[in-house]
Amino acid sequence: MLSGDQVVIELRGVRKRYTRDIVALEEANLSIPKGEFVFLTGPSGAGKSTLLRMLYKAEEPTKGSIIIDGVDLSSLSKSQIPQLRRKVGVIFQDFKLLYNKTVFENVALSLEVIGLKKSQLATRVRQVVEGVGLADKLHRKVVQLSGGEQQRVAIARAVVNRPPIILADEPTGNLDRKRTTEVVALMEELNARGATIIFATHDDALFENTHRRVLQLRDGKIEEF
Amino acid sequence: MPLGIIFKRALRDIRQNLVTHVMTTIVVALTCLVFIFFSVFSINLQRVADRFGKELAIVVYVKKDLAQEKIPTLYQKIVSMDGIENVKFVSSEEAFKRLEGYFKDEKEILEGVDPLFLPPSFEIQINKAVYNPGRVRSIASALSKWPEVQKVQYGKEWVDRLESFSEAVRAAVIASAVLLLVMAAFVVSNTIKLTVYARQDEIEIMRLVGATNGFIQGPFLLASFFQGVSGSLAALVVGLFCYEYVLNIIGQTGLIRSLHLQFLPPFYMVIIVLVSGIFCMAGTAMALRRFLKL
Repeated sequence: MLSGDQVVIELRGVRKRYTRDIVALEEANLSIPKGEFVFLTGPSGAGKSTLLRMLYKAEEPTKGSIIIDGVDLSSLSKSQIPQLRRKVGVIFQDFKLLYNKTVFENVALSLEVIGLKKSQLATRVRQVVEGVGLADKLHRKVVQLSGGEQQRVAIARAVVNRPPIILADEPTGNLDRKRTTEVVALMEELNARGATIIFATHDDALFENTHRRVLQLRDGKIEEF
Repeated sequence: MPLGIIFKRALRDIRQNLVTHVMTTIVVALTCLVFIFFSVFSINLQRVADRFGKELAIVVYVKKDLAQEKIPTLYQKIVSMDGIENVKFVSSEEAFKRLEGYFKDEKEILEGVDPLFLPPSFEIQINKAVYNPGRVRSIASALSKWPEVQKVQYGKEWVDRLESFSEAVRAAVIASAVLLLVMAAFVVSNTIKLTVYARQDEIEIMRLVGATNGFIQGPFLLASFFQGVSGSLAALVVGLFCYEYVLNIIGQTGLIRSLHLQFLPPFYMVIIVLVSGIFCMAGTAMALRRFLKL
């Protein structure tokens, strides 16, 4: 569980360089309190995905520190990484689903890894799949679903174990306007239930009239939009 | 993670990836089969060589002028040597009788010949449990140095040939076993790698949703152990069937029957099954390692 209502995501002077010329982040600082919903924007290749990947320790910063729920990620051992990832639900731009498995099996995976009992697991999966509007497709193979439906399966998998932090990497990138609105509404609902959300997108229309904080990645720096 | 859950997940994985699983098992079975054929051949070759060697006896001819009362002492001396199973004294008279028996209808050849012209001897059987050609040679060499002994015969050429043959077979067995193991390691580990690579997306997703390495590895390792065990068992069944079939065709002659050929000893079979299972598990663990780094 996250402690208190303090800052849960923090970047201090983070630099990420792949080579001397390819710089994703340069002296990036960021502070996100518990329960906030922020949009992260910037052109393609600006480093949005890199930033998110560093938050769940799929990549390491070249310099600086990243603190999640008071824990400096550089201090985590390999065996502690799974614990971090159970606290951080990730919705991937390319969905990362198991296409030859059913909706149920895909969503249940997040609960199997935490060792939830079979009966509890089935109930929880049904509830969440129903929540994303796919109750009638629970036992369909993912490959038989449309792009929008697959995206909702990815969301269901990311939130089924009730993570306090959700990172959404272009979750509406492959969706039409109607589906995009549905996904944003779903994320708003998760945030209303207490989840801290970073929603990465390059679609300006999503945050044009929002009261949410919008962070922009420009030349490796994070700026308030 | 409890073993029961790993077991269930392994069975589910096998069911869902049945074709890949069967293909890997077939590769394991074929590799084991080559190994089994070779082992059966070499084990039986060794048995035949040993069997012929064990039938050899050492004959110690005693000096003719040795006093009769010294024979029991000499007998005790020989019996007390290491590696001796049986010692039989053949007196000059008995040796003459054997000679007569050899000539049968042409006994007249021996007429007028002194029945004591043949030297008395001891016929020595080497203990079969500790038999080896080197030991025969060392016993014969030791005996020949005794003052009471006139001559020692032990089929030196035959023992020497047998020894070099046994050594050649042993060297061939070791060299081929090493070669086969390297080949098997290459084929099986690459097949396993392909199996693991085919599921790398699944492994990556499991890692991203917070699965521990144990959660990911467990079912893979158990499934590969099944592959190793079932593949080697299948190879043993096919190997035994082929062995019986071939034996039925060539085993009708008295010579082949007298060799008492056998399939692999039970202990050897258990070792093959276990090593195969462990080998497949190790291969899978190595293939998984690169996907479980960060």
